[in-house]
Amino acid sequence: MSENRAMLCDTAVALFADLADCAFEGGWARVTEAGFSTLLIPEAAGGFGGDFGDLSAVMRLAGRHAVALPIGETIVAASVLSAMGMDHGSRPLGLAPRASGRIDGESFSGRLHHVPWGRHAAAVLARIGDVTFVIETGAATIIHSASPAGEPRDSLAFDNAPVRITMTRRDPLLLGALLRVAQTAGALDAALAMSIDHANQRQQFGKPLAKFQTVQQNLAILAVEAAAANCAAAAAAAAFDRGDALFEIAAAKLRANLAIEQGTAIAHQVHGAIGFTHEYPLHRLTRRMMGWRSEYGNDRTWADVLGGIAAGCGGAGLWTEITRRSDAITGTSHD
Amino acid sequence: MQSFTVSPFELPAGADSLRRRIRDFLAEHQPVHDPVLRANSWAVPDPAFSRALAKAGFVGMTWPRKYGGHERHPLERYIVLEELLAAGAPVGAHWIADRQTGPLLLRYGTEQQRERYLPAMAAGELYACIGLSEPGAGSDLASIRTSARRTDDGWIITGQKVWTTNAHHSGIMLALVRSAEGSQRGEGLSQYLIDLTLPGITIRPIIDMFGGHDFNEVFLDEVEVSADALVGVEGQGWRQATAELALERSGPERYLSSNALLVALIDLVGPDPAPVVRAAIGRMTAELWTLRQMSMSVAAKLAGGDDPVVEAAMVKDLGNSFEQSLPLIVQSILDDDVDLADGTPLTRLLAMLLQTSPSFSLRGGTREILRGIIARRLGLR
Repeated sequence: MSENRAMLCDTAVALFADLADCAFEGGWARVTEAGFSTLLIPEAAGGFGGDFGDLSAVMRLAGRHAVALPIGETIVAASVLSAMGMDHGSRPLGLAPRASGRIDGESFSGRLHHVPWGRHAAAVLARIGDVTFVIETGAATIIHSASPAGEPRDSLAFDNAPVRITMTRRDPLLLGALLRVAQTAGALDAALAMSIDHANQRQQFGKPLAKFQTVQQNLAILAVEAAAANCAAAAAAAAFDRGDALFEIAAAKLRANLAIEQGTAIAHQVHGAIGFTHEYPLHRLTRRMMGWRSEYGNDRTWADVLGGIAAGCGGAGLWTEITRRSDAITGTSHD
Repeated sequence: MQSFTVSPFELPAGADSLRRRIRDFLAEHQPVHDPVLRANSWAVPDPAFSRALAKAGFVGMTWPRKYGGHERHPLERYIVLEELLAAGAPVGAHWIADRQTGPLLLRYGTEQQRERYLPAMAAGELYACIGLSEPGAGSDLASIRTSARRTDDGWIITGQKVWTTNAHHSGIMLALVRSAEGSQRGEGLSQYLIDLTLPGITIRPIIDMFGGHDFNEVFLDEVEVSADALVGVEGQGWRQATAELALERSGPERYLSSNALLVALIDLVGPDPAPVVRAAIGRMTAELWTLRQMSMSVAAKLAGGDDPVVEAAMVKDLGNSFEQSLPLIVQSILDDDVDLADGTPLTRLLAMLLQTSPSFSLRGGTREILRGIIARRLGLR
C-alpha cells in the first residue's frame, strides 16, 4: 500500500468509527470537512489526487463501519463535476443506478430511479443509453423511498430539465458497482470479526460456540467469502485505474453478490437470536449488504454482461482475454 | 479483521515475452490428446512431454543454474504453470518434483542431495511422489506409524503408505516417517527421500471409482536406505512437511482442473447462448476470475518470502468448490437433447468430471482440514 493510501485509510478509520450514531447533516459535515469528496479530483484542481484503488480502500472501510452516508457516490460524481468546471459546494452528490425517459438536446424528461440519498443530492450523475450527463436536482420531483437498511433511495422525476452532457468514462452503474463491491468486502470482514467475537464469548453446552466444529467450519466459509470479496474489490479497482474495466467490475460485483448470499446467512446463524435484535449491531452490516446485492446491478444483470463477453470470446479465447487484461495491469505483455 | 490481504503480482523486467513463449511451445508440442485428458491435466503423466518442456527451460525454472535450473522469478514460473493448466497440457509426470520435492531439497537438502537429484528433475526425467497418508493416518496425518530405525550406515524403513499418487511413475518418494521410536503425533518424524527401486519396496495400484490409476499403496519392508536419505533435520519432519503446504495448496491447479469443461461449453453454445446459459457462463467466469486473483496474490506473497499457509488454504478450499460446481452447473443447463451417453467431447468430459470431481476436495488436504486451518487462524480453536 502506498504511503498516501495508508494515511488516507488512517484518516478514514478515525472518522468512520465515529459516524455510526451521527444524524445525516452532522455526519456529512464531518466528511466534507475531512476533504473526502475531493478524493478523485487531481491535486492541480485542488483535490486529493487519489485513484480508484484509494477509493476502493476508503469504501472498504466505510462498509466495515456501516457508514450511512453517500461518500463514494459523492466522490465519483464530484470528480466528474470538477472536470466540467461545476461546483457543488459541500452538498452530497448522487450516482443514478438506472434512468428512464429521454434526452432531448440538452434537457432530460424522465426519472432517475432509487438514487442513494437522492433527496440530499445537489446533482446526480446519470446515464441513459450511451449518454452520460449531470443533472441538478433543483427542478426534480422527489419520491422518497428506502433501502432495506433504511437509507434513502429516492426517485427523482424531471420534466424538460437542463442537463450537462459529459464524455466521461465514469459510468454511474459501473462505478456504483465498484463502490458496493468494496463496501461489501469491508462489511463481510466486519461481520466476520463480530461473529468470531460472539462465538468466543457465548457459551452453550458448557463451552464457547467457537469450540464446536460446525461453527468453526461455517466461520471458515464466511472468512473465505470475505477474502474473495476483498480480492475482487482490489483487482477491479486496479483494472479501472488502468483502463477499461467492464469485465472486472462485472466479475467482482457478481462475486461479491455471491459472497453476500453466503456471508450474511452464516453471520446470522452463528449469532443466533441475539443477532436478530435491533439492539445488536450485526444488522447494520447485514441489512445493508442485503440491499447492495441488488444495487448497481444484481446477479442477473452482471451475469448477463459477463456471460455475453465470455461467450463472445470463444472457449479458448476466454482464457486469452482474462490473461490479456491482467497482463496489462501487471506489466506482462504478449509480445 | 482483514480476511485476506492482497499482494500485487509484479513481474520483474524481462518477463514480457514469457506468456508468448510458453504458448508457442504448447502450440508446437502439445500432444493431440483426447479432450477428456485436458481436464485435471496435472494428474496426466506424459514423460515425453515433460522432457520436451524441460528442454525448453520450463521445469525447475526458479532453481539455480548449477542444478540444471533457470533462475527465473517465481512469478514467471506461475505464468508458465497457469498456461500449461489452462491448455490442459499433460504435466502430471514431473508436477510434484517441480512443485514440491525440488524446492524442498533446495530449502533443506544437503549439497550432495541437490547435486544428485535436482539436475534429473529439472531435465524432466526424475519424477517424485509424496508418501504422507497411511492406512491409519489420513486427515489425521500425525498418526503416522511407518518407522525408520537407525543402523551403522543408514536407516531401515518399515511400514505402508497409501493414496500415493504417481508412485508407479516415480523414481523417488519423499516420505514422512517416524524416526524416534515411541514418539507421539508430530514429534519424532523425519523426511526421507527413498529410491523406489530399492529391495523391499512393493507398489500396488489402487483403481479409483472412475477406473483410473493414480493412487497406489507403497509397502516398505525393511528397506535399507543410506544415511543421506534423511532430508533436513532428524525429528523436524512435521515442520518441514507442513512448510510445503502453501506451495501445494495455492497454485493454479486448484482452480483450473475443470477449465476444459468451461472451454468446451462455450464452444458448444457459441457467442449468443440462451439467457440461462449466458448467465451461468457469467457466474462461472466471475468465480474463475476471482480465484485467479486470489491465487496470484498468494503466489506474490510466496515470491516475497512469506509463508501464507492460511491464504493458501482459502484458495484451495474455494478453488475445489468451484471446480466441483462446474460439472454440476454445466449438467444443469445443457439442452435436453444433450445426453451423457452421446459420446461427444463435451459429454465425455462432463461425465468424467462428475465422477472424478469428488476427489478434488479430498486430495491435498480435505475441505474439513482446510477449514480447520482457517478456523485456527481466526482464533476459534
